[in-house]
Amino acid sequence: MSVVLIGLSIGMLLFLLAAGLTLVFGLLGVVNFAHGSMYMLGAYVAFQFVAWTGNFWLALLLAPLVVGLFGGLLERLTLRPLYGRDPAYQLLLTFGYILVIEEFIRMVWGVNFKALNAPAALAGTTEIFGSTVTDYRLFIIAFGALLSVALFYVIERTRIGIVVRAASVNSAMVSCLGIDVGKVRTGVFIAGTALAAISGVVAAPLLPLKLGMSFTIIIDCFIVVVIGGLGNIRGAILGAMLIGMTRAVGQQFAADWIFLLTYGLLIVTLIFRPEGLFNVKGRQA
Amino acid sequence: MKRLLLLIVALALLPLVVKDQGALYFMTLIMVWCLFALGYDLVFGVTGLLSFGHAAFFGLGSYVFAFIVIKNAALFPLAVIAAGLAGGLLALLVAAIALRLSGIYFSLMTLAIAELLFFVASSPLRRLTGGEDGLTGVPRPNFFGIDFYQEANFYLLVLAFLALGLLAARALRRSPFGQALNGVRVNEIRADQVGFDVRRLKLAAFAVSGVFSGVAGALLGSLMQFVNPQGLHWSTSGDVVIMSLLGGVGTLFGPIIGVVVFETLKELISSRTVHWYGILGLIFILSTMYMPRGIIGALDAAGARLRTKKS
Repeated sequence: MSVVLIGLSIGMLLFLLAAGLTLVFGLLGVVNFAHGSMYMLGAYVAFQFVAWTGNFWLALLLAPLVVGLFGGLLERLTLRPLYGRDPAYQLLLTFGYILVIEEFIRMVWGVNFKALNAPAALAGTTEIFGSTVTDYRLFIIAFGALLSVALFYVIERTRIGIVVRAASVNSAMVSCLGIDVGKVRTGVFIAGTALAAISGVVAAPLLPLKLGMSFTIIIDCFIVVVIGGLGNIRGAILGAMLIGMTRAVGQQFAADWIFLLTYGLLIVTLIFRPEGLFNVKGRQA
Repeated sequence: MKRLLLLIVALALLPLVVKDQGALYFMTLIMVWCLFALGYDLVFGVTGLLSFGHAAFFGLGSYVFAFIVIKNAALFPLAVIAAGLAGGLLALLVAAIALRLSGIYFSLMTLAIAELLFFVASSPLRRLTGGEDGLTGVPRPNFFGIDFYQEANFYLLVLAFLALGLLAARALRRSPFGQALNGVRVNEIRADQVGFDVRRLKLAAFAVSGVFSGVAGALLGSLMQFVNPQGLHWSTSGDVVIMSLLGGVGTLFGPIIGVVVFETLKELISSRTVHWYGILGLIFILSTMYMPRGIIGALDAAGARLRTKKS
Protein backbone atom coordinates (compact mmCIF):
# COMPACT_ATOMS: atom_id res chain seq x y z
CA MET A 1 0.00 0.00 0.00
CA SER A 2 2.76 2.43 0.86
CA VAL A 3 4.15 1.84 -2.62
CA VAL A 4 0.89 3.08 -4.11
CA LEU A 5 0.92 6.19 -1.92
CA ILE A 6 4.55 6.92 -2.72
CA GLY A 7 3.77 6.44 -6.40
CA LEU A 8 0.83 8.82 -6.10
CA SER A 9 2.95 11.49 -4.45
CA ILE A 10 5.67 11.22 -7.12
CA GLY A 11 2.94 11.32 -9.74
CA MET A 12 1.47 14.50 -8.27
CA LEU A 13 4.85 16.23 -8.31
CA LEU A 14 5.44 15.13 -11.88
CA PHE A 15 1.99 16.30 -12.88
CA LEU A 16 2.49 19.83 -11.52
CA LEU A 17 5.75 20.00 -13.41
CA ALA A 18 4.39 18.49 -16.61
CA ALA A 19 1.28 20.70 -16.51
CA GLY A 20 3.52 23.77 -16.61
CA LEU A 21 5.53 22.40 -19.52
CA THR A 22 2.51 21.31 -21.51
CA LEU A 23 0.63 24.57 -20.86
CA VAL A 24 3.53 26.59 -22.19
CA PHE A 25 3.89 24.30 -25.16
CA GLY A 26 0.18 24.48 -25.97
CA LEU A 27 0.16 28.25 -26.17
CA LEU A 28 3.69 29.24 -27.13
CA GLY A 29 4.71 26.19 -29.13
CA VAL A 30 7.95 26.23 -27.13
CA VAL A 31 9.33 23.22 -25.33
CA ASN A 32 11.06 24.80 -22.38
CA PHE A 33 14.26 22.86 -21.91
CA ALA A 34 14.97 24.93 -18.81
CA HIS A 35 11.74 23.81 -17.15
CA GLY A 36 13.67 21.41 -14.91
CA SER A 37 16.03 24.24 -14.01
CA MET A 38 13.04 26.28 -12.84
CA TYR A 39 12.09 23.32 -10.65
CA MET A 40 15.61 23.26 -9.23
CA LEU A 41 15.64 27.03 -8.79
CA GLY A 42 12.32 26.83 -6.94
CA ALA A 43 13.77 24.29 -4.52
CA TYR A 44 16.90 26.36 -3.84
CA VAL A 45 15.04 29.66 -3.45
CA ALA A 46 12.70 27.94 -1.00
CA PHE A 47 15.73 26.62 0.86
CA GLN A 48 16.96 30.20 1.16
CA PHE A 49 13.61 31.53 2.41
CA VAL A 50 13.44 28.76 5.01
CA ALA A 51 17.00 29.55 6.08
CA TRP A 52 15.98 33.20 6.58
CA THR A 53 12.52 32.85 8.09
CA GLY A 54 12.27 29.23 9.18
CA ASN A 55 8.79 29.12 7.68
CA PHE A 56 8.18 26.46 5.01
CA TRP A 57 4.73 27.76 4.10
CA LEU A 58 6.05 31.24 3.42
CA ALA A 59 8.69 29.68 1.19
CA LEU A 60 6.04 27.68 -0.65
CA LEU A 61 4.24 30.94 -1.37
CA LEU A 62 7.19 33.18 -2.20
CA ALA A 63 9.62 30.93 -4.09
CA PRO A 64 7.19 30.19 -6.97
CA LEU A 65 6.43 33.91 -7.19
CA VAL A 66 10.11 34.82 -7.49
CA VAL A 67 10.85 32.08 -10.00
CA GLY A 68 7.66 32.85 -11.95
CA LEU A 69 8.63 36.49 -12.31
CA PHE A 70 12.09 35.46 -13.45
CA GLY A 71 10.39 33.26 -16.05
CA GLY A 72 8.27 36.18 -17.16
CA LEU A 73 11.33 38.35 -17.68
CA LEU A 74 13.02 35.57 -19.60
CA GLU A 75 10.03 35.21 -21.92
CA ARG A 76 9.52 38.93 -22.43
CA LEU A 77 13.16 39.79 -23.09
CA THR A 78 14.66 36.81 -24.87
CA LEU A 79 11.99 34.40 -26.07
CA ARG A 80 9.59 36.91 -27.58
CA PRO A 81 12.01 38.10 -30.29
CA LEU A 82 12.35 34.50 -31.49
CA TYR A 83 8.69 33.57 -32.04
CA GLY A 84 8.85 34.03 -35.79
CA ARG A 85 11.83 31.71 -36.18
CA ASP A 86 12.32 27.97 -36.49
CA PRO A 87 11.22 26.33 -33.19
CA ALA A 88 14.70 24.82 -32.94
CA TYR A 89 16.04 28.24 -31.92
CA GLN A 90 13.62 28.51 -29.01
CA LEU A 91 14.65 25.07 -27.83
CA LEU A 92 18.29 26.10 -28.10
CA LEU A 93 17.69 29.35 -26.24
CA THR A 94 16.15 27.55 -23.29
CA PHE A 95 19.06 25.10 -23.43
CA GLY A 96 21.35 28.09 -22.86
CA TYR A 97 19.33 28.94 -19.76
CA ILE A 98 20.02 25.49 -18.31
CA LEU A 99 23.72 26.33 -18.28
CA VAL A 100 23.19 29.82 -16.87
CA ILE A 101 20.80 28.74 -14.08
CA GLU A 102 23.05 25.81 -13.16
CA GLU A 103 25.98 28.21 -12.87
CA PHE A 104 23.93 30.72 -10.90
CA ILE A 105 23.04 28.05 -8.35
CA ARG A 106 26.64 26.91 -8.14
CA MET A 107 27.77 30.51 -7.48
CA VAL A 108 25.14 31.26 -4.84
CA TRP A 109 24.69 27.96 -3.03
CA GLY A 110 27.82 26.01 -3.97
CA VAL A 111 28.19 22.39 -4.98
CA ASN A 112 27.49 20.79 -1.61
CA PHE A 113 24.18 19.03 -1.05
CA LYS A 114 21.56 21.07 0.79
CA ALA A 115 18.66 19.72 2.78
CA LEU A 116 15.28 21.30 3.34
CA ASN A 117 13.24 19.76 6.16
CA ALA A 118 9.53 19.14 5.96
CA PRO A 119 7.55 21.48 8.25
CA ALA A 120 7.37 20.22 11.82
CA ALA A 121 3.59 19.80 11.64
CA LEU A 122 4.04 17.16 8.94
CA ALA A 123 7.06 15.37 10.34
CA GLY A 124 5.02 12.50 11.81
CA THR A 125 3.68 9.35 10.20
CA THR A 126 0.19 7.99 9.76
CA GLU A 127 -1.10 4.46 9.55
CA ILE A 128 -3.28 3.84 6.52
CA PHE A 129 -4.58 0.44 5.38
CA GLY A 130 -2.05 -1.28 7.61
CA SER A 131 1.05 0.52 6.32
CA THR A 132 2.91 3.54 7.61
CA VAL A 133 3.50 6.62 5.48
CA THR A 134 4.93 10.00 6.38
CA ASP A 135 2.41 12.80 6.76
CA TYR A 136 4.41 14.80 4.28
CA ARG A 137 3.65 12.27 1.52
CA LEU A 138 -0.04 12.56 2.30
CA PHE A 139 0.26 16.35 2.21
CA ILE A 140 1.84 16.16 -1.26
CA ILE A 141 -1.01 14.02 -2.55
CA ALA A 142 -3.69 16.32 -1.11
CA PHE A 143 -1.92 19.51 -2.15
CA GLY A 144 -1.29 18.20 -5.67
CA ALA A 145 -4.90 17.09 -6.04
CA LEU A 146 -6.18 20.46 -4.85
CA LEU A 147 -3.89 22.38 -7.18
CA SER A 148 -4.83 20.15 -10.13
CA VAL A 149 -8.52 20.77 -9.54
CA ALA A 150 -7.88 24.51 -9.30
CA LEU A 151 -5.85 24.38 -12.50
CA PHE A 152 -8.61 22.56 -14.38
CA TYR A 153 -11.20 24.97 -13.05
CA VAL A 154 -9.21 27.97 -14.26
CA ILE A 155 -8.56 26.47 -17.69
CA GLU A 156 -12.04 25.10 -18.32
CA ARG A 157 -14.40 27.39 -16.45
CA THR A 158 -13.01 30.91 -16.34
CA ARG A 159 -12.59 33.73 -18.81
CA ILE A 160 -8.81 33.57 -18.48
CA GLY A 161 -8.95 29.89 -19.32
CA ILE A 162 -11.03 30.43 -22.42
CA VAL A 163 -8.64 33.10 -23.69
CA VAL A 164 -5.67 30.79 -23.14
CA ARG A 165 -7.38 27.89 -24.88
CA ALA A 166 -8.52 30.05 -27.77
CA ALA A 167 -5.05 31.55 -28.19
CA SER A 168 -3.54 28.04 -28.28
CA VAL A 169 -5.78 27.17 -31.21
CA ASN A 170 -5.57 30.40 -33.16
CA SER A 171 -3.60 33.27 -31.69
CA ALA A 172 -4.08 35.54 -34.72
CA MET A 173 -7.86 35.37 -34.35
CA VAL A 174 -7.70 36.04 -30.63
CA SER A 175 -5.51 39.03 -31.26
CA CYS A 176 -8.07 40.32 -33.82
CA LEU A 177 -10.69 40.14 -31.08
CA GLY A 178 -8.74 42.78 -29.20
CA ILE A 179 -6.77 40.65 -26.79
CA ASP A 180 -3.07 41.31 -26.29
CA VAL A 181 -1.73 37.83 -27.06
CA GLY A 182 1.79 38.88 -26.09
CA LYS A 183 0.58 39.52 -22.53
CA VAL A 184 -1.29 36.20 -22.47
CA ARG A 185 1.89 34.42 -23.52
CA THR A 186 3.96 36.11 -20.83
CA GLY A 187 1.27 35.29 -18.29
CA VAL A 188 1.15 31.64 -19.25
CA PHE A 189 4.93 31.42 -19.17
CA ILE A 190 4.91 32.90 -15.65
CA ALA A 191 2.26 30.38 -14.59
CA GLY A 192 4.20 27.51 -16.18
CA THR A 193 7.48 28.38 -14.48
CA ALA A 194 5.67 28.99 -11.18
CA LEU A 195 4.17 25.50 -11.41
CA ALA A 196 7.64 24.07 -11.95
CA ALA A 197 8.89 26.01 -8.94
CA ILE A 198 5.96 24.83 -6.78
CA SER A 199 6.81 21.28 -7.72
CA GLY A 200 10.43 21.96 -6.79
CA VAL A 201 9.54 23.42 -3.39
CA VAL A 202 7.19 20.57 -2.53
CA ALA A 203 9.71 17.95 -3.69
CA ALA A 204 12.61 19.58 -1.81
CA PRO A 205 12.07 17.87 1.59
CA LEU A 206 12.09 14.47 -0.12
CA LEU A 207 15.53 14.67 -1.69
CA PRO A 208 18.92 16.33 -1.31
CA LEU A 209 19.16 19.58 -3.25
CA LYS A 210 22.01 19.28 -5.68
CA LEU A 211 23.18 20.47 -9.04
CA GLY A 212 21.98 18.21 -11.79
CA MET A 213 18.62 17.51 -10.16
CA SER A 214 17.15 19.64 -12.93
CA PHE A 215 18.19 17.23 -15.60
CA THR A 216 16.98 14.07 -13.95
CA ILE A 217 13.58 15.62 -13.50
CA ILE A 218 13.27 17.22 -16.93
CA ILE A 219 13.73 13.88 -18.63
CA ASP A 220 10.99 12.35 -16.46
CA CYS A 221 8.83 15.35 -17.22
CA PHE A 222 9.38 14.95 -20.96
CA ILE A 223 8.48 11.29 -20.68
CA VAL A 224 5.25 12.15 -18.87
CA VAL A 225 4.33 14.79 -21.39
CA VAL A 226 5.09 12.64 -24.42
CA ILE A 227 3.23 9.65 -22.98
CA GLY A 228 0.24 11.89 -22.27
CA GLY A 229 0.45 13.72 -25.58
CA LEU A 230 2.25 17.08 -25.75
CA GLY A 231 -0.10 19.98 -25.01
CA ASN A 232 -2.67 17.65 -23.46
CA ILE A 233 -3.18 18.33 -19.75
CA ARG A 234 -5.57 15.44 -19.14
CA GLY A 235 -3.04 13.07 -20.68
CA ALA A 236 -0.34 14.57 -18.49
CA ILE A 237 -2.24 13.47 -15.35
CA LEU A 238 -2.38 9.87 -16.48
CA GLY A 239 1.20 9.96 -17.77
CA ALA A 240 2.40 11.39 -14.46
CA MET A 241 0.61 8.72 -12.43
CA LEU A 242 1.96 5.97 -14.69
CA ILE A 243 5.55 7.18 -14.32
CA GLY A 244 5.07 7.89 -10.61
CA MET A 245 3.90 4.33 -9.99
CA THR A 246 6.67 2.88 -12.13
CA ARG A 247 9.22 4.84 -10.12
CA ALA A 248 7.77 3.79 -6.77
CA VAL A 249 7.56 0.12 -7.71
CA GLY A 250 10.99 0.24 -9.34
CA GLN A 251 12.58 1.81 -6.28
CA GLN A 252 11.23 -1.04 -4.20
CA PHE A 253 12.23 -3.94 -6.40
CA ALA A 254 14.80 -2.99 -9.04
CA ALA A 255 16.55 0.29 -8.28
CA ASP A 256 19.25 -0.21 -10.92
CA TRP A 257 16.68 -0.66 -13.65
CA ILE A 258 14.30 2.25 -12.94
CA PHE A 259 15.68 4.22 -15.82
CA LEU A 260 15.23 1.34 -18.19
CA LEU A 261 11.65 0.92 -16.99
CA THR A 262 10.64 4.54 -17.47
CA TYR A 263 12.52 4.92 -20.74
CA GLY A 264 11.12 1.63 -21.90
CA LEU A 265 7.63 3.00 -21.31
CA LEU A 266 8.51 6.04 -23.36
CA ILE A 267 10.01 4.13 -26.26
CA VAL A 268 7.15 1.63 -26.38
CA THR A 269 4.64 4.50 -26.35
CA LEU A 270 6.45 6.25 -29.15
CA ILE A 271 6.58 3.15 -31.25
CA PHE A 272 2.92 2.22 -30.90
CA ARG A 273 1.19 5.54 -30.14
CA PRO A 274 3.50 8.38 -31.23
CA GLU A 275 0.74 10.94 -30.62
CA GLY A 276 0.59 9.93 -26.94
CA LEU A 277 -1.32 7.19 -25.14
CA PHE A 278 -4.21 9.39 -24.12
CA ASN A 279 -4.52 11.80 -26.98
CA VAL A 280 -8.15 11.76 -28.02
CA LYS A 281 -8.97 14.00 -30.96
CA GLY A 282 -11.00 17.07 -30.05
CA ARG A 283 -10.59 16.53 -26.32
CA GLN A 284 -7.43 18.47 -25.68
CA ALA A 285 -7.43 20.73 -22.68
CA MET B 1 38.78 22.94 -52.53
CA LYS B 2 41.81 25.22 -52.57
CA ARG B 3 40.93 26.63 -49.16
CA LEU B 4 40.42 23.14 -47.81
CA LEU B 5 43.78 21.79 -49.04
CA LEU B 6 45.52 24.93 -47.80
CA LEU B 7 44.03 24.38 -44.35
CA ILE B 8 45.13 20.75 -44.25
CA VAL B 9 48.69 21.57 -45.37
CA ALA B 10 48.93 24.41 -42.85
CA LEU B 11 47.76 22.11 -40.07
CA ALA B 12 50.25 19.45 -41.14
CA LEU B 13 53.12 21.92 -40.94
CA LEU B 14 52.10 23.19 -37.50
CA PRO B 15 54.07 20.62 -35.43
CA LEU B 16 57.26 21.97 -37.04
CA VAL B 17 56.63 25.26 -35.25
CA VAL B 18 54.72 24.17 -32.16
CA LYS B 19 56.84 21.94 -29.94
CA ASP B 20 54.89 22.23 -26.71
CA GLN B 21 53.32 18.85 -25.83
CA GLY B 22 50.37 20.46 -24.06
CA ALA B 23 49.57 22.71 -27.00
CA LEU B 24 49.78 19.79 -29.43
CA TYR B 25 47.48 17.74 -27.21
CA PHE B 26 45.01 20.63 -27.13
CA MET B 27 45.09 21.02 -30.92
CA THR B 28 44.58 17.27 -31.36
CA LEU B 29 41.58 17.50 -29.06
CA ILE B 30 40.17 20.30 -31.21
CA MET B 31 40.60 18.21 -34.34
CA VAL B 32 38.79 15.25 -32.77
CA TRP B 33 35.87 17.53 -31.92
CA CYS B 34 36.00 18.96 -35.44
CA LEU B 35 35.47 15.48 -36.82
CA PHE B 36 32.52 15.01 -34.48
CA ALA B 37 31.01 18.40 -35.37
CA LEU B 38 31.53 17.69 -39.07
CA GLY B 39 29.45 14.55 -38.72
CA TYR B 40 26.86 16.29 -36.56
CA ASP B 41 26.34 19.00 -39.13
CA LEU B 42 25.34 16.43 -41.74
CA VAL B 43 22.24 15.82 -39.63
CA PHE B 44 21.61 19.27 -38.16
CA GLY B 45 22.98 21.65 -40.78
CA VAL B 46 22.36 19.72 -43.98
CA THR B 47 19.25 17.67 -43.26
CA GLY B 48 17.76 20.07 -40.71
CA LEU B 49 17.18 17.51 -37.94
CA LEU B 50 17.98 18.79 -34.46
CA SER B 51 19.50 15.78 -32.71
CA PHE B 52 20.20 16.04 -29.01
CA GLY B 53 21.51 12.51 -28.79
CA HIS B 54 24.76 12.47 -30.71
CA ALA B 55 26.64 11.74 -27.51
CA ALA B 56 25.30 8.19 -27.83
CA PHE B 57 27.18 7.52 -31.07
CA PHE B 58 30.28 9.34 -29.87
CA GLY B 59 30.33 7.52 -26.53
CA LEU B 60 29.56 4.11 -27.98
CA GLY B 61 32.44 4.62 -30.43
CA SER B 62 34.78 5.29 -27.51
CA TYR B 63 33.71 2.17 -25.65
CA VAL B 64 33.82 -0.18 -28.65
CA PHE B 65 37.24 1.15 -29.51
CA ALA B 66 38.47 0.78 -25.93
CA PHE B 67 37.20 -2.79 -25.57
CA ILE B 68 39.24 -3.85 -28.60
CA VAL B 69 42.50 -1.95 -28.12
CA ILE B 70 42.77 -2.70 -24.40
CA LYS B 71 43.06 -6.35 -25.40
CA ASN B 72 45.55 -5.68 -28.19
CA ALA B 73 46.94 -2.27 -29.14
CA ALA B 74 47.92 -3.53 -32.59
CA LEU B 75 44.26 -3.80 -33.53
CA PHE B 76 43.94 0.01 -33.70
CA PRO B 77 42.78 0.18 -37.36
CA LEU B 78 40.21 -2.54 -36.79
CA ALA B 79 39.04 -0.86 -33.58
CA VAL B 80 38.51 2.48 -35.32
CA ILE B 81 36.51 0.79 -38.07
CA ALA B 82 34.46 -1.09 -35.48
CA ALA B 83 33.82 2.15 -33.57
CA GLY B 84 32.64 3.85 -36.76
CA LEU B 85 30.37 0.94 -37.64
CA ALA B 86 28.95 0.78 -34.12
CA GLY B 87 28.26 4.53 -34.18
CA GLY B 88 26.63 4.26 -37.58
CA LEU B 89 24.45 1.29 -36.65
CA LEU B 90 23.33 2.85 -33.38
CA ALA B 91 22.53 6.09 -35.21
CA LEU B 92 20.43 4.11 -37.66
CA LEU B 93 18.55 2.45 -34.80
CA VAL B 94 18.03 5.71 -32.87
CA ALA B 95 16.83 7.46 -36.01
CA ALA B 96 14.48 4.60 -36.84
CA ILE B 97 12.80 5.05 -33.45
CA ALA B 98 12.99 8.83 -33.18
CA LEU B 99 11.82 9.49 -36.75
CA ARG B 100 8.40 8.24 -35.76
CA LEU B 101 8.13 11.73 -34.35
CA SER B 102 8.83 15.07 -35.88
CA GLY B 103 10.04 18.47 -34.81
CA ILE B 104 10.56 18.96 -31.10
CA TYR B 105 9.39 15.45 -30.17
CA PHE B 106 12.12 14.08 -32.39
CA SER B 107 14.80 16.08 -30.56
CA LEU B 108 13.49 14.96 -27.18
CA MET B 109 13.44 11.35 -28.27
CA THR B 110 17.08 11.42 -29.39
CA LEU B 111 17.96 13.00 -26.05
CA ALA B 112 16.04 10.37 -24.11
CA ILE B 113 17.69 7.44 -25.90
CA ALA B 114 21.15 8.88 -25.38
CA GLU B 115 20.47 9.44 -21.67
CA LEU B 116 19.23 5.88 -21.41
CA LEU B 117 22.58 4.67 -22.74
CA PHE B 118 24.39 6.94 -20.32
CA PHE B 119 22.58 5.37 -17.38
CA VAL B 120 23.02 1.86 -18.68
CA ALA B 121 26.76 2.42 -19.10
CA SER B 122 27.17 4.08 -15.71
CA SER B 123 25.26 1.64 -13.59
CA PRO B 124 23.77 -1.68 -14.76
CA LEU B 125 26.70 -2.41 -17.07
CA ARG B 126 29.35 -1.06 -14.75
CA ARG B 127 31.30 -4.33 -14.73
CA LEU B 128 31.85 -4.03 -18.46
CA THR B 129 32.29 -0.27 -18.71
CA GLY B 130 33.97 0.49 -15.40
CA GLY B 131 30.93 2.55 -14.36
CA GLU B 132 31.53 6.20 -13.48
CA ASP B 133 35.28 5.64 -13.23
CA GLY B 134 35.52 4.46 -16.81
CA LEU B 135 38.21 2.35 -18.41
CA THR B 136 41.82 3.36 -18.00
CA GLY B 137 44.83 2.16 -19.95
CA VAL B 138 43.39 2.74 -23.40
CA PRO B 139 46.54 2.63 -25.52
CA ARG B 140 47.64 4.84 -28.36
CA PRO B 141 48.12 2.98 -31.68
CA ASN B 142 51.21 0.97 -32.35
CA PHE B 143 52.40 0.44 -35.91
CA PHE B 144 55.36 1.03 -38.28
CA GLY B 145 57.49 1.55 -35.20
CA ILE B 146 56.14 5.09 -34.78
CA ASP B 147 55.88 6.35 -31.22
CA PHE B 148 52.34 7.69 -31.00
CA TYR B 149 52.85 8.67 -27.38
CA GLN B 150 54.74 11.59 -28.91
CA GLU B 151 51.94 14.16 -29.24
CA ALA B 152 53.24 15.41 -32.61
CA ASN B 153 52.92 11.95 -34.17
CA PHE B 154 49.45 11.36 -32.78
CA TYR B 155 48.50 14.87 -33.91
CA LEU B 156 49.42 13.98 -37.49
CA LEU B 157 47.47 10.73 -37.31
CA VAL B 158 44.33 12.54 -36.12
CA LEU B 159 44.91 15.18 -38.77
CA ALA B 160 44.89 12.43 -41.38
CA PHE B 161 41.49 11.31 -40.11
CA LEU B 162 40.21 14.89 -40.07
CA ALA B 163 41.47 15.51 -43.60
CA LEU B 164 39.75 12.36 -44.77
CA GLY B 165 36.59 13.43 -42.95
CA LEU B 166 36.68 16.91 -44.45
CA LEU B 167 37.13 15.61 -47.98
CA ALA B 168 34.40 13.02 -47.48
CA ALA B 169 32.00 15.56 -46.00
CA ARG B 170 32.68 17.96 -48.83
CA ALA B 171 32.13 15.30 -51.48
CA LEU B 172 28.99 14.12 -49.69
CA ARG B 173 27.51 17.61 -49.56
CA ARG B 174 28.05 18.06 -53.28
CA SER B 175 26.82 14.62 -54.27
CA PRO B 176 23.22 14.07 -55.42
CA PHE B 177 22.67 12.45 -52.00
CA GLY B 178 23.82 15.60 -50.21
CA GLN B 179 21.68 17.76 -52.44
CA ALA B 180 18.66 15.58 -51.69
CA LEU B 181 19.33 15.98 -47.95
CA ASN B 182 19.47 19.73 -48.49
CA GLY B 183 16.13 19.48 -50.20
CA VAL B 184 14.66 17.67 -47.22
CA ARG B 185 15.75 20.51 -44.95
CA VAL B 186 14.49 23.30 -47.16
CA ASN B 187 11.11 21.76 -47.94
CA GLU B 188 10.34 18.29 -46.79
CA ILE B 189 6.92 18.08 -48.40
CA ARG B 190 8.26 19.15 -51.75
CA ALA B 191 11.15 16.69 -51.52
CA ASP B 192 8.60 13.97 -50.85
CA GLN B 193 6.39 15.08 -53.73
CA VAL B 194 9.31 15.11 -56.14
CA GLY B 195 9.70 11.42 -55.36
CA PHE B 196 12.46 11.23 -52.78
CA ASP B 197 12.04 8.70 -49.99
CA VAL B 198 12.44 11.28 -47.22
CA ARG B 199 12.51 8.79 -44.36
CA ARG B 200 15.25 6.80 -46.00
CA LEU B 201 17.29 9.92 -46.70
CA LYS B 202 17.05 10.95 -43.05
CA LEU B 203 18.05 7.47 -41.91
CA ALA B 204 21.04 7.53 -44.24
CA ALA B 205 22.09 10.97 -43.02
CA PHE B 206 21.99 9.70 -39.44
CA ALA B 207 23.98 6.59 -40.27
CA VAL B 208 26.75 8.55 -41.99
CA SER B 209 26.77 11.07 -39.18
CA GLY B 210 26.97 8.22 -36.67
CA VAL B 211 30.05 6.83 -38.40
CA PHE B 212 31.81 10.21 -38.09
CA SER B 213 30.78 10.43 -34.43
CA GLY B 214 31.89 6.88 -33.62
CA VAL B 215 35.32 7.43 -35.18
CA ALA B 216 35.69 10.74 -33.34
CA GLY B 217 34.79 8.97 -30.09
CA ALA B 218 37.43 6.33 -30.74
CA LEU B 219 40.11 8.94 -31.42
CA LEU B 220 39.17 10.80 -28.24
CA GLY B 221 39.57 7.60 -26.23
CA SER B 222 43.00 7.02 -27.72
CA LEU B 223 44.01 10.66 -27.20
CA MET B 224 43.00 10.80 -23.55
CA GLN B 225 44.04 7.17 -22.99
CA PHE B 226 40.86 6.55 -21.10
CA VAL B 227 37.11 6.31 -21.65
CA ASN B 228 34.27 7.20 -19.29
CA PRO B 229 30.50 7.71 -19.48
CA GLN B 230 31.02 11.47 -19.85
CA GLY B 231 31.21 10.85 -23.60
CA LEU B 232 27.62 9.57 -23.47
CA HIS B 233 26.39 12.37 -21.23
CA TRP B 234 23.85 14.88 -22.51
CA SER B 235 26.36 17.70 -22.11
CA THR B 236 28.44 16.12 -24.88
CA SER B 237 25.43 16.35 -27.19
CA GLY B 238 24.84 19.88 -25.93
CA ASP B 239 28.43 20.88 -26.61
CA VAL B 240 28.34 19.76 -30.20
CA VAL B 241 25.05 21.62 -30.76
CA ILE B 242 26.53 24.78 -29.25
CA MET B 243 29.68 24.47 -31.33
CA SER B 244 27.78 24.00 -34.58
CA LEU B 245 25.44 26.88 -33.91
CA LEU B 246 28.22 29.16 -32.76
CA GLY B 247 30.24 28.57 -35.91
CA GLY B 248 27.33 28.49 -38.34
CA VAL B 249 25.32 25.44 -39.30
CA GLY B 250 25.04 24.03 -42.77
CA THR B 251 28.49 25.06 -43.93
CA LEU B 252 31.62 22.96 -44.12
CA PHE B 253 33.81 25.39 -42.18
CA GLY B 254 31.16 26.72 -39.79
CA PRO B 255 31.24 23.86 -37.29
CA ILE B 256 35.04 23.84 -37.42
CA ILE B 257 35.23 27.53 -36.58
CA GLY B 258 32.67 26.81 -33.86
CA VAL B 259 34.80 24.06 -32.32
CA VAL B 260 37.94 26.19 -32.38
CA VAL B 261 36.19 29.20 -30.82
CA PHE B 262 34.35 27.06 -28.26
CA GLU B 263 37.39 25.10 -27.11
CA THR B 264 39.63 28.19 -27.06
CA LEU B 265 37.05 30.17 -25.10
CA LYS B 266 36.67 27.26 -22.71
CA GLU B 267 40.42 27.09 -22.26
CA LEU B 268 40.76 30.86 -21.75
CA ILE B 269 37.75 31.35 -19.50
CA SER B 270 38.21 28.21 -17.44
CA SER B 271 41.78 29.15 -16.58
CA ARG B 272 40.50 32.43 -15.09
CA THR B 273 37.20 31.47 -13.50
CA VAL B 274 35.39 28.27 -12.55
CA HIS B 275 32.16 29.74 -13.89
CA TRP B 276 33.04 29.20 -17.51
CA TYR B 277 30.00 27.05 -18.28
CA GLY B 278 27.65 29.84 -17.23
CA ILE B 279 29.53 32.37 -19.31
CA LEU B 280 29.38 29.95 -22.20
CA GLY B 281 25.63 29.71 -21.67
CA LEU B 282 25.32 33.50 -21.88
CA ILE B 283 27.40 33.63 -25.04
CA PHE B 284 25.23 30.88 -26.45
CA ILE B 285 21.98 32.68 -25.57
CA LEU B 286 23.20 35.90 -27.14
CA SER B 287 24.41 34.19 -30.28
CA THR B 288 21.10 32.33 -30.63
CA MET B 289 19.31 35.66 -30.47
CA TYR B 290 21.59 37.88 -32.49
CA MET B 291 23.72 35.54 -34.63
CA PRO B 292 21.33 32.86 -35.84
CA ARG B 293 23.69 31.93 -38.65
CA GLY B 294 26.73 31.80 -36.41
CA ILE B 295 30.14 33.36 -36.84
CA ILE B 296 30.28 32.41 -40.52
CA GLY B 297 26.90 34.03 -41.12
CA ALA B 298 27.90 37.19 -39.28
CA LEU B 299 31.16 37.38 -41.24
CA ASP B 300 29.29 36.89 -44.52
CA ALA B 301 26.84 39.65 -43.63
CA ALA B 302 29.66 41.99 -42.65
CA GLY B 303 31.47 41.17 -45.90
CA ALA B 304 28.34 41.86 -47.92
CA ARG B 305 27.89 45.24 -46.22
CA LEU B 306 31.48 46.18 -46.97
CA ARG B 307 31.08 45.27 -50.63
CA THR B 308 27.89 47.31 -51.05
CA LYS B 309 29.57 50.29 -49.41
CA LYS B 310 32.44 50.13 -51.87
CA SER B 311 30.27 49.95 -54.96
